[in-house]
Amino acid sequence: MYIGISGYNHESAVALVDEHGTLVDYYREEFLSRVKGDKSFPKRSLKRIIQLHNIEINQIKSIAFYERPLSSFLTSIRTAALNMPRSLPLISHQCRNFDKSSISCYLDLSRLFPGLEKKLLYLDHHLSHTLTALAYSDIQSDICSIVVDGFGDRSTTSIAKVNNLYDIKELWCCDYPSSLGLFYSSITDFLGFEVNEGEYKVMGLSSFGNSNSLNAKNVFNLIKWNNQFKTITMDMSYFDYHISPTQSYSNKLVELLGPPRNPFVPLVREDNDFQYYADIAKGAQDAIVNILCQLFNYAHTLTGSRRFLFSGGVAMNSASLDEISSLSCVDKIIIPPSPGDAGASIGSAYFAYLKNNHRQNTKLSRPTFFPSNYDSTSQQHLAKQILTDNFITLTTEFVEIISISAKLISKGEVIGISINNAETGPRALGNRSLVCDGTNKDAVNTLNTLIKNRSPFRPTAPSMKYHTANKYYVLRNELIECYKTMSATCKCRMDTESINFPTTHIDHTARLQIVEDGQILFSLLDKLEDYNIQILANSSFNLSGDPTSFDLFDALMVSMRKPLKYIITNVGLLQSIL
Amino acid sequence: MKDDASKLNIILETASAEYGSALEMLSACKLSEKAPYSCGYFNHAKDEYNHADIFMSILSKYAMNVSSSKARNYRFTARSLIGKYVSAKGYLYEIMKQKDFIAYVYTNELLAKKSFEGILKLVKSDSQQSSLILQIMEDELRHHGLAKKHFLKHYPRMQPLQLMAYRIRETINNRTRKFYFQNLRILDKLLAPLYIFMAYIAGTISILFNLREFDHTNKNLMELSSKSIV
Repeated sequence: MYIGISGYNHESAVALVDEHGTLVDYYREEFLSRVKGDKSFPKRSLKRIIQLHNIEINQIKSIAFYERPLSSFLTSIRTAALNMPRSLPLISHQCRNFDKSSISCYLDLSRLFPGLEKKLLYLDHHLSHTLTALAYSDIQSDICSIVVDGFGDRSTTSIAKVNNLYDIKELWCCDYPSSLGLFYSSITDFLGFEVNEGEYKVMGLSSFGNSNSLNAKNVFNLIKWNNQFKTITMDMSYFDYHISPTQSYSNKLVELLGPPRNPFVPLVREDNDFQYYADIAKGAQDAIVNILCQLFNYAHTLTGSRRFLFSGGVAMNSASLDEISSLSCVDKIIIPPSPGDAGASIGSAYFAYLKNNHRQNTKLSRPTFFPSNYDSTSQQHLAKQILTDNFITLTTEFVEIISISAKLISKGEVIGISINNAETGPRALGNRSLVCDGTNKDAVNTLNTLIKNRSPFRPTAPSMKYHTANKYYVLRNELIECYKTMSATCKCRMDTESINFPTTHIDHTARLQIVEDGQILFSLLDKLEDYNIQILANSSFNLSGDPTSFDLFDALMVSMRKPLKYIITNVGLLQSIL
Repeated sequence: MKDDASKLNIILETASAEYGSALEMLSACKLSEKAPYSCGYFNHAKDEYNHADIFMSILSKYAMNVSSSKARNYRFTARSLIGKYVSAKGYLYEIMKQKDFIAYVYTNELLAKKSFEGILKLVKSDSQQSSLILQIMEDELRHHGLAKKHFLKHYPRMQPLQLMAYRIRETINNRTRKFYFQNLRILDKLLAPLYIFMAYIAGTISILFNLREFDHTNKNLMELSSKSIV
C-alpha cells in the first residue's frame, strides 16, 4: 500500500493507492474535521484510511509528502530577507511558526504512527500536481504538464515534459514571488473575499466587469508575461504577500484602485460600488487569461506537445479554459477534478507507488471521480433516533427513490443527495449535491440563496447528459474531459433558450457538468425526461462557510438548519417533518 | 461604552466559540455509542450552529459600519478555530472520557450563559438582537440542564460534590486561559524587539544561501532524491 499526504499550507488530504496502482481511498481532512479548508496535519484522514482498510504499518511500503518542506521555508524567508527591514515581521512570524510548518510532517507522522516516518518520501510540489493530473489522463506519455499555483517549493509556475511516467523533465519555472496564484488571491483579498476560498467569487464577479474600464486596465497591467525573458513579471511594490504576514496587497495598490471592499457589506448588483469591484475582478480575470494563453503557447514551443495536463490552484479558474482551448497549439487539456493542493496527495501516493514499482509499461489506472469511501451502515443505527424524530423515510428502493425524486424536482423542490462514496471536491459531481430543475428560476433561487446563502452574482452549475449539452452549449473537443468535472465553462448557443436558463451567467456562459452513465445524476436525468426536464442545477451539499457534507449526520444537519425538505441517502429518500 | 474594535472582537470571539462548540457536539454525535446520546448531541450541535449564525449576523451588522481596513480584521475563518477554540489534538470527545465530556458541557454551558449577559449589555439598544441573545441564553441553560440530568442519572453516587468540583475546575481553567492569552499578548509585545532582532539574523543568514543549487530545471523530477527535504 502507498499513501500520499498534502497539508500545512492549503487543504490537507490523504490518498491511498494499492499494489495494482489503483486509488482505493481518499479524504480531505475537512470532510472529517468539518473545518472548512482544514490545513492541519491530516490525522483523522490517515487514521480512517488505516483503520477502514485494516492496514498494518508494515504493509505500507512508502508514504509520500507533496512537497520538499525546507525548500518552501527557505525560499519564503530568503525572498522576504531581500526586503528587510520591512519584511522583518514576516520573517519573525515564519521562524516562530517553524514547528507548525510542513517541516513537522516527519514528527507528526512519528507521533501518530511510530515507525511510519521512516517510510516518508518527499517529492517536488509541482511533480505531485503533475502526477495527479497524469492519473486522470488517458495519455500518460509525450504530454506537456503546466502547473500554476500560489507557491510550491521554490517556484510558482512550471512547465514539464512527461516523456513517460519515469521521465518527467521540468523545462521552465517561474520563481517566487512572481505568482499568478498569489496575484489573484491578493485581488480576492482586496475585494473582501477570503483568500483560498473567495477566488470563485472573483471569477463570478468578473463577468459583470468591463475590460475597458480604467480599474480593469490598472489591474491587468500589474502582472505581465515578459516575452523577451520568457517569464511572469509583477510590480511587487503593489503587493505585500512576500513581506507581510497579514497583508497581501500594499498601500500603493489602494492608492491605485481606491479603498478595498468592506467584507461585511453585501455585494449587490444594484449598488453603486458593484461595478467598481466588478471591473477590478475583470482586470484580474483578463490578466489570468492573458498570461495563461502566453504560457500555453510557450509550453507548446518548449515541448512541441499539443496535449496538456493543467493543474495547481489556478487550474480551478474554469472561466479561463474556453479561451485557452481556442489556441491553435491546443488539442487537448486534462484537468484533474481536484487540481489544488488537496488533490496533490493523489499524485504523491502515485509517486510512492511508482518509486516502488519501476517497471516498463507501468500505467496509472484512472481513479474514479468518487474515491472517498463511505458506508452509511455504520452510522444508520446511531442516527436512528434523529431519523425517527425528524424525518419520514419515503422509500428505501433505489428505483423508487429516483422516481419520487424526479417527481419532486419537477414540482420545483430542491433535493439533497448524500449517497455512496464522495467525490474528491471541490466540485460536487452528484454524490454530495443539492439539485433542482435547472430551468426553474424559483427552484434555482431557493437553492442558491435560501439554502446555500451564496452571493447572488454567482450562478449555479448545470448538470446534463452529453446530447443536451451539445444542443444548448458550444462544446470544445479540447475540453471534453474537463466538462465531466465542471472544470471549464462554455458558451451558450445563442439561438437556444439556454441563454435564459437560471444557471446561465451574465456573460452567457455556464460551468456545466456532463454526466456519465452509472452516476446517480444520470439515473435522475433519465427519469426526469418523463417530465421534459433535461438539466439539473447542481451545487455542493453544504451551507456557505461549511465543508461539503460527507456522512449521513452532515447531510441531516444541513436539512435541519435550512429549508431543505428532501434528502437522498443510503438509508432511503428522507423527508424532513419539521 | 465599549469602542468598536472591542465590541467587534467580543462578538467575533463569541461566534467563533459557538461554531467551535457546534463542531465539538457534531463530533460527539458521530462518536457516541448510543442513538439517544447521538440525537442529543446532534440537537445540541444544531443549536450551536444557529447561535454562531446569529452572532455572525450581529457581527456583520456592526462591522459594515466601520472602515473596510478595520472590518477586514474581523472576518471569520473556520481554520482559525483550530488551536484556539478547538484543540489541535482533537475534539474533546476524541480525547476525553464521556463522563468528563458531559461534566465539561455541564459547566461550560453555564459559564457561556454568564458571558452572554455581558454581550446582552453590548447590544441592549437593539431589541431584536437582545431577544435573540436571550433566546440563546435559554438554550444554554437548557443544555446545562440536560447535561446535569444525564450526570445525575448515570453517576448518582458522585453528587453533588463532584459537579461542584468540575464547575470550579472549569471556572479556574477558563480564567487561567484568558489570563494566559492576555499575558501572552503582553509578553509578545515585550519580546517583539528580540524577535525582530532574531528575524534580522535569520534573514541575513538566509541571504547567504544559494537556492539556485536546488534548481530542478532540465532535471528528471522522478530521479531526484526522494529523501531530501530541499
